[in-house]
Amino acid sequence: MTTNTDLAVQFAGVGKKYPHFTLDDIHLEQEEGSIMGFIGANGAGKSTTIRILMGLVHQDHGMVRVLGHTMPHQQAAAKFDIGYVSEDMRLYRTATIDWHMRFIRSIYPTFDQAYAEQLCRRFDLKPQQKVKGLSHGQRVKAALMLVLARRPRLLVLDEPTTGLDPIARQEVLGELMQVLSDERRTILFSSHNTLDVEQISDSITFIDRGRIIDSGDKEGYLDRWRRMRVDVPPGVSLPSLPGTIQKASTGRITVLTTNSFDPAMTALCRDAGATVHNIDRMTLEEIFVANVASRREGVLA
Amino acid sequence: MHSGITISQSDSRPMYLQIMEQIKQRIALGDWVPGQEIPSIRQLAVELRVSVITIKRAYLELDREGIIVTQHGKGSTVATDPDLSPRLYDQELTEHVDQVARLGELLGHSPEELANRVREAADRLVKEHV
Amino acid sequence: MNFNMIRLLVLKDWYLQRWLIIGSLVGGAMALAITVLTGKAGFFIGLILLVTVLVVEGAQLAVSTVITERKEQNLAFVMSLPISYREYTMSKILANILIFLVPWALVLSGCLIILLAAPGAVHGLVPYVTIMGAYLLVSTCAILCVTLMTESQGWATAAIIVGNVGFNAVGYLVAHIPGIAATMFGVRVLWDSTSIGIVLAEFASVLLLLTLTFLVQSRKTDFL
Repeated sequence: MTTNTDLAVQFAGVGKKYPHFTLDDIHLEQEEGSIMGFIGANGAGKSTTIRILMGLVHQDHGMVRVLGHTMPHQQAAAKFDIGYVSEDMRLYRTATIDWHMRFIRSIYPTFDQAYAEQLCRRFDLKPQQKVKGLSHGQRVKAALMLVLARRPRLLVLDEPTTGLDPIARQEVLGELMQVLSDERRTILFSSHNTLDVEQISDSITFIDRGRIIDSGDKEGYLDRWRRMRVDVPPGVSLPSLPGTIQKASTGRITVLTTNSFDPAMTALCRDAGATVHNIDRMTLEEIFVANVASRREGVLA
Repeated sequence: MHSGITISQSDSRPMYLQIMEQIKQRIALGDWVPGQEIPSIRQLAVELRVSVITIKRAYLELDREGIIVTQHGKGSTVATDPDLSPRLYDQELTEHVDQVARLGELLGHSPEELANRVREAADRLVKEHV
Repeated sequence: MNFNMIRLLVLKDWYLQRWLIIGSLVGGAMALAITVLTGKAGFFIGLILLVTVLVVEGAQLAVSTVITERKEQNLAFVMSLPISYREYTMSKILANILIFLVPWALVLSGCLIILLAAPGAVHGLVPYVTIMGAYLLVSTCAILCVTLMTESQGWATAAIIVGNVGFNAVGYLVAHIPGIAATMFGVRVLWDSTSIGIVLAEFASVLLLLTLTFLVQSRKTDFL
């Protein structure tokens, strides 16, 4: 069922060196019409990667193409079709939300005033209010409203739900999913909220310490990763199972984390004399933590 | 078209399975009749706030099982003769029963004690439905 | 160059700095009034006020539009707009220069008119006043360019201090140039090659500073 879709985002061999941090050999591909969740610890390189994507930071080497434009050289053209909201972005404190709406409208012909007003109502924002009087959550929602109302082809969001109360989060997720009803529109977002990422993302990319450690479709991850509790009687040794990322034993119980689960593993263990008691699916958060931990300890399957 | 499907966060089963089950339920109950158009993959994704890829997977499986028919570019419909055969639930039952047997062994139950436990659970369910 | 975007950005800065602009226009007008209406003592007080207004406005502008925008994290918002860093620089230069030019032109022409038209005024001061007025333009430009290139509050402050000290130093030096000193307090307006040369050099400096800034900024690769 795979079709030849265009890539909205493409990174190849991208690197950037800072005094205390290096972004190394970044490869990333995102298809048009999809949502990609970008997960990483603080300081892992999420924001740097996103800034390079936007052309705000020039990579030392490697190719970046966004919506067909080469970055950073063609960033002005690209940014007409990109809506960017980052956690460290602020609107002008002395101006009102309404002023920002008029400002954006004067720049982007695609700005939909009616939709913007609808979003203000849904997000509980008062256009006449000055930005300096807004709470953190309201500021985030205002910035999101301004990009959503333009209906850009690509939305690049750095922590869009961080700091929002549960109701606001649901509103934002709802609007983001609404974007996807147009199959030519794409969303890339980074988040600490792995539950949100797990729910709405089509593909996931994990980044740690400046390197992409894994990238693939979400259902694939949830299918392939398992945590198994195996009863290993004395004198029995577990067969080496493919994709074993972590293995920890206490007494007779061995807990095994694998990234290449196969139902046949149960039989393999049984044949070796061990009994599999639990096979648990893992949440995206558990997968990410296991992935990072094993990488840092240098144990790779 | 509102599907009436809900995803439970606390349900440990994968989302695509939950969706599949609820679609089968709608069809079994007669809410969705054979030949009827059902929400497109993207429509359902937006409504449930679940990724497109998950809905795609659910629909793919349902298509394979002959429950729905998806035509590329034309959306999806309930199959004219949806095969909601007990065979599929039977598979699930077998898996669960095997799990029950393992747990029983761990706890040291005899097969009779285990059978009693299962009968009690089934009786309770009957009482609830009444 | 997307001139439409640059125009929109300049308008944006004008809107955000509107109180500073109005304040300096009002301050400038009041200072001019003091100069004219209060006799000899008031004349000099008024002059000092005028200069103060212009200097403060010029300095504050660069800081507000460049440093504060960065500190308040508005820069990421601006850079998410469909512009390149070049266009950003161009819009900052234009916005600041234009905002400054309005009160500057008002004050300078006001001064020259007063010098030429008010009774008992000393016409010989015209070249001197023109030179010092142009100096203020150069110094404000320098502050803007340093601020843009260094992106640092510290360097901006240093440039402001140098500009102020320079004003006094240049004021003293120029007043003692023979060609100018001789005719300063005379009745007639006398431009000689020295005074003309200085004014031309000042305008050339402005162009040089702006070009240098633009070139330096073009070579920068990272906004953030």
